[in-house]
Amino acid sequence: MSDAFAFTRWPACTSALRLDRWLCGELGSEEDAALRAHLATCARCADAASTLGAARDEELPPLRALDVPARAVPRFVKPWRPALAAAGLAGALAAGLFLALRPGPAQAPGTALKGAGVGIGMWVQHGGDVRRVGEGEAIAVGDAVRFSVTTPVRAYVAVLSLDPAGHASVYFPVGPRAEAVGPAVDAPLPAGTRLDATVGEERVWALFCPAPIELEPVRARLERGGAAAALPEECGVTSWRFVKR
Amino acid sequence: MTGPGEIERLYRSHGGLVLRRARAILGNEADAREAMQDVFAELVRAPRSLDGVRSVVGWLYRATTHRCLKVLRDRRSGARLLRRHAAGSRPALAVAEGELAVEARSLLATLPDEEAAALVYHHVDGMSHAEVAELLGCSPRKVGYLIERAHGVLLQEEEGPV
Repeated sequence: MSDAFAFTRWPACTSALRLDRWLCGELGSEEDAALRAHLATCARCADAASTLGAARDEELPPLRALDVPARAVPRFVKPWRPALAAAGLAGALAAGLFLALRPGPAQAPGTALKGAGVGIGMWVQHGGDVRRVGEGEAIAVGDAVRFSVTTPVRAYVAVLSLDPAGHASVYFPVGPRAEAVGPAVDAPLPAGTRLDATVGEERVWALFCPAPIELEPVRARLERGGAAAALPEECGVTSWRFVKR
Repeated sequence: MTGPGEIERLYRSHGGLVLRRARAILGNEADAREAMQDVFAELVRAPRSLDGVRSVVGWLYRATTHRCLKVLRDRRSGARLLRRHAAGSRPALAVAEGELAVEARSLLATLPDEEAAALVYHHVDGMSHAEVAELLGCSPRKVGYLIERAHGVLLQEEEGPV
């Protein structure tokens, strides 16, 4: 046996899987009775079961990824010219250009539509209510939020934020690289997040990139030096902000 | 299981076991908490993953193991630690019963997914070959082969280049 595993030993004769299944009520009545009888006579397994039981009772932080139901997110209704916008973004992505950020002429509330047709929208779940919010709106800490994006061409998308304490994080995606989205109009991103207790203005950037860029270096640069130094030049960018209180 | 409310309830009832296993495999509190969130984030993204699943606990074991092995690989420290130990030092003891030694973590990152998972289930969770086989969806005989082959590879890695 490899030396590195020589000292790694589950300390009981009943596996952790079997004990966890028992603790979660997954065993049938016969298996349940057999295990109970064993635990009454085996101190090591009884101790292990007690340890696993304590782990199950541990206080957990809020679940970060929360889904705001897709059916609650209405379609984007702003009239726009998708063919022209698509050509613009495709050209910009192909040329590796940083897109100029100009608000569109008739933005829907809660949607920042900038550059060549890319946009970001924000939805908030407070209690049982789901609503779209506008840029700069105040949102309660602990609320669940979810973003939607608009992109006239398929692009690798990521959403990053810088909170009032200067901590940068990646809201989307969950994985380490930007994920392909679109073409899409106001498409809700698959996972949302619950806001932590750091109050103040939080800034958000949605990236629309020609390749699945690694996000940790971008997040780290954002935290160190702000958006100007952080955001990749080859990506289209649109920004957003909201206030936590 | 489809709704966020159901997933949040599952998180409350089963998140602790995911966190405990992530700690045992990763040996780092921050990474373990991140891995736990990622496991449930995957459920939010694909809520039908649990449809037809016979054991939710088994599904969470698999998802946690998969996520943690990915973290170990992403750390990219395995190769550096491996080279250091190949230079002559002996592996240290695990910090607690049922937890992986630091060296074991770095070595796991070098193995194919199925072999690494088999080692984790067998050593960290104390599973029999039959239990590992159920989670991996293969025969107990193949589990024995996977574990034997993984130990062979790791022994070679520990002994360094001949």
